[in-house]
Amino acid sequence: MTETVLKLRNISKTYIVGTRRNALKAQKAIQKLHKNYEDACEKEDKDCIRRNEKILDKAQDLFSKEKYEESYKVIAGKSIKPRPKDRGAVVHALDNVTLEIKKGDLIAVVGPSGSGKSTLLNMLGLLDEPTAGQIFLNNKNVTGIKKKRLPTIRSNDLGFVFQSFNLVPSLTALENTMLPLKYAGISMAKRKKMAKEALTLVGLGDRLNHSPNELSGGQSQRVAIARSIVSEPAIVFGDELTGELDTKMTHEVMELIGKLNNKGQTFIIVTHNPEVAKVCKQIIYMKDGKIEKEERNKEKR
Amino acid sequence: MLEILRNMFRRKTRTILTISGITIGIFAFVVMGSMAEKINVLVSGGTKYYKDKVIVSDKSGGTFMTSPLSINKAKDIEKVIGVQAVQADVTVLLDNADSMSFGIPPMIIGSDGKGEPYESFKIDMAKGEKVTPTDNGKVMIGSDLVKKLNAEVGKKIKIKGKEFEVKGIMAKTLTAPDNEVYTTLRDTQEIYHDTLPIVIQSQVKPEVLVTDFTVYAKKGVDPDALATKIDKEVTNVKSQGPKSFQDQIASATGILNSILFGIAAISLLVGGLSIINTMTMSIAERTKEIGIKKAVGAKTRNIMTEYLTEAGLIGLFGGVIGWILGALVVFFINRAMEASGNTIFLLSTRLSVFAIVFSVILGIVAGIYPAYHAVRINIVKALREE
Repeated sequence: MTETVLKLRNISKTYIVGTRRNALKAQKAIQKLHKNYEDACEKEDKDCIRRNEKILDKAQDLFSKEKYEESYKVIAGKSIKPRPKDRGAVVHALDNVTLEIKKGDLIAVVGPSGSGKSTLLNMLGLLDEPTAGQIFLNNKNVTGIKKKRLPTIRSNDLGFVFQSFNLVPSLTALENTMLPLKYAGISMAKRKKMAKEALTLVGLGDRLNHSPNELSGGQSQRVAIARSIVSEPAIVFGDELTGELDTKMTHEVMELIGKLNNKGQTFIIVTHNPEVAKVCKQIIYMKDGKIEKEERNKEKR
Repeated sequence: MLEILRNMFRRKTRTILTISGITIGIFAFVVMGSMAEKINVLVSGGTKYYKDKVIVSDKSGGTFMTSPLSINKAKDIEKVIGVQAVQADVTVLLDNADSMSFGIPPMIIGSDGKGEPYESFKIDMAKGEKVTPTDNGKVMIGSDLVKKLNAEVGKKIKIKGKEFEVKGIMAKTLTAPDNEVYTTLRDTQEIYHDTLPIVIQSQVKPEVLVTDFTVYAKKGVDPDALATKIDKEVTNVKSQGPKSFQDQIASATGILNSILFGIAAISLLVGGLSIINTMTMSIAERTKEIGIKKAVGAKTRNIMTEYLTEAGLIGLFGGVIGWILGALVVFFINRAMEASGNTIFLLSTRLSVFAIVFSVILGIVAGIYPAYHAVRINIVKALREE
C-alpha cells in the first residue's frame, strides 16, 4: 500500500467571467452557497440540498441571459445592484473533482483547451483556492490554509515546472536551482551542494554558471526540472512542460522525468502531447471541468 | 545582494537617471545645508558670546553700524546697580563699508580689556600670543583673515594704511572672531578717528572715542533687565541684552534656513518620486519573475526585502555621489573665498551623516509602495504573462 501524497475531494472552482465591480462579491456568494450545499449534504438535509441546487441551477441559467439582474439578486442578495456592464457568465472550471495521487505516481492530465487541466493543477499546487471541496497534502487538510504558511509548503513540498521554463533571467543555472532552498532558509554552502547535485542529476553538471539565455530550450527546461526537484518535494507539477520543445528535446526531457520517477519522485503533468502521455503511468482525461476517465498505462506498469 | 545589484543595472540608463535624481537632491541638500550650518554655528557662537553681557551703543546706531560715544559715559554706566564691569570698545570695519559680505563682515576691534576677567567666551591662540591692552602697534588675527592679510607671527602687515606687527593668530572659533582683527583701544581709536568726517575729526580727540561699551552683569543679575535699567539711567545710549541680539538674528536666519531647506526638500521630493516611478516600472517588468519566485516558495518578507533593498541602494548611491559632489563644491568655493576672509560653507559631520542616512531612508520609503505591489502579485496570473 503506497501512501497518498495529495488528495482532492469534491473540488469545484467557479469563476464569474466578464463582470467587474461585483464579481468578487458574487463569487463569495457562490462560495457560500457551495458551502451550505456541502453542509447540507453532510447532514443529509434533503430539503436544503434541493433548495441550494435549485438556486445554483437558476443562477447558472440566468447569469448570462437577459434576466441577469434577477440572477444577481438570487446569488448575492439584495445588496448588490447590478449594472448592464457587470453582466457576466458563471464558468465551472472544475466540477466536483475527486482525485488521489500516490507516492511514485507519474500522471498525465490530458484534455481539450478549457477542460480545466490547468485549473486542476493550480488547485493541486495550492496556487489557487477552490470554491468548494477539500485538498489534502500528506494527509493534512490544506484547504483554506493561511496564506502566510503557503510559501513554506511550496518551497518544501511542491515543485513546479512550467511551459515557458520560467527561469529568472538575471540568475545563473545554479542560482535558479538554489532559489527554493534559499526561501526554505537553507545555508549557502548546503544549498550550493544540493543544487549542484540536482543539476548533475539532470545532466547539466557542466553548465552551472550559465545564464538562462546561454542555454537551449531543452537545457532551460532541465534547469527548471532541477529546480523543481532540488528540495525533494512530495510532488512535482508540470504545466505543458514540453510545450515549447521540439520532438527530440521532448523525448530527452520525458526520459529524464521517467528516470527521476524511477527514483521515487512523484509527478503530475498537464499536456497536450500524446507522446508525453504515453510515457506516464496513468492518464487522466478531462472534459468540461470533470474527470472523464482514468486510465492505467499497461506498458508502464 | 549581488543579484539585487545585477537587477538594478539590468536597465542601466533608467537606474542611472534615477540615481542622478537623488544625486541632485542630496547635492542641493549638502550645499544648501552647509550654508545654513555655517550661519547656525555663527549664530550659536554669537548667542554664546552675548549671553551674559549688555552692549551699550549710541542711541542712533545699530548693531553693526557705529556712531561715536564718549569714553566718559563709562563712568555713568558703572554707577548703574548690577553692573560688574564696563569695557570700552572701538569696532571698525576692516574693508570699506560698501564691499559685499556674507554673515558678519571682517572687523577691527580694540578694547581697554576691563571686561577680560569676567569674559566667559575664551579665545585660544593658534600661534603667537594675545594682544594686551598696552600692546600698541601689535595685532592678533582671526583664522579666516590670515590669507587675506597675508599674516604670519612676527611679520609686519598694513591695516587701513597703518603698519602693525602680528603678535598672534587666533584658533578657529567658527564664529565672529574668525573674521576679526584685535588690537589695542588706542590704535583702534586712531583708525576710527581717521574714518570720521573731517569736520568732526577736528572737534574730537581720538582718545575719547568709543563705538560701544560691553557691560558685564554681576552674578545673578539678568542682563536683559540690566539693559533696560541702563537705558533708563544713562542718557543718549541704547542697550542691547542677549534677548534683543537673539531676536535680531533669529528672524534673519530663520527665513534663510527655511528657504535653503525648502529648496533641498523639493529636490528630494522629486528624487523620491522618481524612485517610486523606477521601482514601479521594474516591478511591472519583472511580474513574471516575481510569480516564479513566489511559486518556488518566496515569502512576502523575501520579496519585500529584495525590492526595498534595491530602492534603498538607489538612494544610497544617489546620496553618496550627491554628497561627494556637494563636498567638492563646498571645498572649492570655500578655498576660493578664503582669500577674502569670508567662507560661506560649513559641511559638518552631522549634516553629512544626515544627508546619507536620509537618502537611504528616502529610497526605502519610496520603495514601499512598489514593493507592496510586488508582494500582491497573483502567482497564476503572473506566470501566464509573456
